[in-house]
Amino acid sequence: MQIRRKASAGTMQSSDLMVVVEPAAALEIHIDSTVKKQFEQLIREQILRTLDQLQVSSGRIQVSDRGALDYAIAARIETAITRASEV
Amino acid sequence: MFDRPTQGEARQLIEAQGLRFEPDYDDLAGLYEGGRLVACGARAGYVLKMVAIEPSHQGTDALGELVTALIRSGLAAGHDSLFLFTRPETAPAFQHLNFRLLASHGGAALLEHGPGLEAYLAAQAPKVVPGRNGAVVINGNPFTRGHLHLVEQAAREVDRLCLFVVREDRSVFPFEARLRLAAEATAHLANVTVLDTSRYAVSAGTFPAYFLKRLDQAAEAQIQLDLRLFAQHLAPAFHLACRFVGQEPLCPATAAYNRAMAEVMAEYGIQWRELPRLAAGGAPISASRVRRLLADCDFSTLGSLVPPVTLDYLQSAAGQAIAARIRTRMEDS
Repeated sequence: MQIRRKASAGTMQSSDLMVVVEPAAALEIHIDSTVKKQFEQLIREQILRTLDQLQVSSGRIQVSDRGALDYAIAARIETAITRASEV
Repeated sequence: MFDRPTQGEARQLIEAQGLRFEPDYDDLAGLYEGGRLVACGARAGYVLKMVAIEPSHQGTDALGELVTALIRSGLAAGHDSLFLFTRPETAPAFQHLNFRLLASHGGAALLEHGPGLEAYLAAQAPKVVPGRNGAVVINGNPFTRGHLHLVEQAAREVDRLCLFVVREDRSVFPFEARLRLAAEATAHLANVTVLDTSRYAVSAGTFPAYFLKRLDQAAEAQIQLDLRLFAQHLAPAFHLACRFVGQEPLCPATAAYNRAMAEVMAEYGIQWRELPRLAAGGAPISASRVRRLLADCDFSTLGSLVPPVTLDYLQSAAGQAIAARIRTRMEDS
C-alpha cells in the first residue's frame, strides 16, 4: 500500500494509541509514549513489522501511545494506512 | 459520547471549574454521559484551552477521550502539534497523555502534543553551528536601521548570531516579508543566520488567560513562558550563550519585557546584553515610527530610518497596500 494522503486512526484513551500518517519521501517514525523509556524499541519494531506486512516503505508515521499492546499498535497502523491509501 | 456543546453548556462547566470562559476559539469538544456534559475543551488554531472536567469524572479517562476529540479537531484543521496553556498543577495529567512540558513558571504552564518542537529543531539542525553564539529575537515589523545596528553590534561579539524573526502573524507586515527583509538587510554579515521562530516565541496573541486568577497577570505569565522556552529549549539547541536586545526608552511594556529577560537569562546562565538604540533625527529608530511615516508616505524621512531593501519594499505595491491598512487602523483607533 502507499500513503497518498494524510490520515489518522486510534484514540488517546488508556491502552490505545493515536496514529497520524502522511506522505513523505523516506520513512520517518516519530514515537511519543507514556512508556517510551522502557518500550520505545518494541513499539518501533511492531510499527516496522506492520509497515512491512502492508508493504509500505515511505511516509511520516507519528504515534502517540498510552501503553497499547502489540495487536492494538498493528490494528491502528493498518487502519491509518488503509485510510491514507484511498484516493 | 462526543458532541459539540453549545456555548452556554460549555461556559457553565468551564466557569464551575474556576476558569474564565473566552469566546474566541475555532472548535469546542464535549463529552456527554446520559445527556449531560461532563468534560469539554476548546481549540483556537493550534492552541488548546479551557479544558474542564466535572469533579465526578476527574481521575477517569474522560480527559483521554476529550483530548482525542481535540487532537482530531486539530488534525482536521491542519495542526499536527498542539499547544496547551494551563495551570502548572494540571500539567501532569496532560503529561500522561504524551504532552511535553515546554515551560512552566508561577501560575502558568505551556505543554505541547505532537512532534512540534522536536521536528522544528531537527529542521533547523543544518543551520546550527557550534561556538559561542548569540541571539536577537525581533518581530521586524518592518526591519529598520535600528534592527540592523543591533545585529551588526551583536554579531561582532559572538561566533555566530542567530537572528530569530517571530513567525506569529499579528503584525501589519506579513511574516514572509518580515523574514525576507531581515535576511536581505543582513546578507552582508557573514556570521548572521536568519531563522524562523515557528511557534516557539510565545506571543501575546496566542496566549490565553482563561486559567489565571486575574487578567492583569496575563502579560507577565506570557513573557515568562516565552523567555523560559527560549532559555530551556532554543538556547541549548543553537548553542546560544548570549541574548542581545536594544534598549527601550519609549515603550513601558517592552522595557518590562527586557527587565524580565535580564533576570531569566541570568537564571539559566545565559549572558544578557542591552545595546544602545540607534537614533535618527533626534529620536530612537523604532518600527512603530516607521509605520507612522509610512502611513504619511514620507519616503524621504523613511530613507534615513530603514535599510534600502526595506525602503524598496515600502515603495512597492505590497508596501502601499500595507500603508493603506495602517491608515485605516489609525482612523479606527
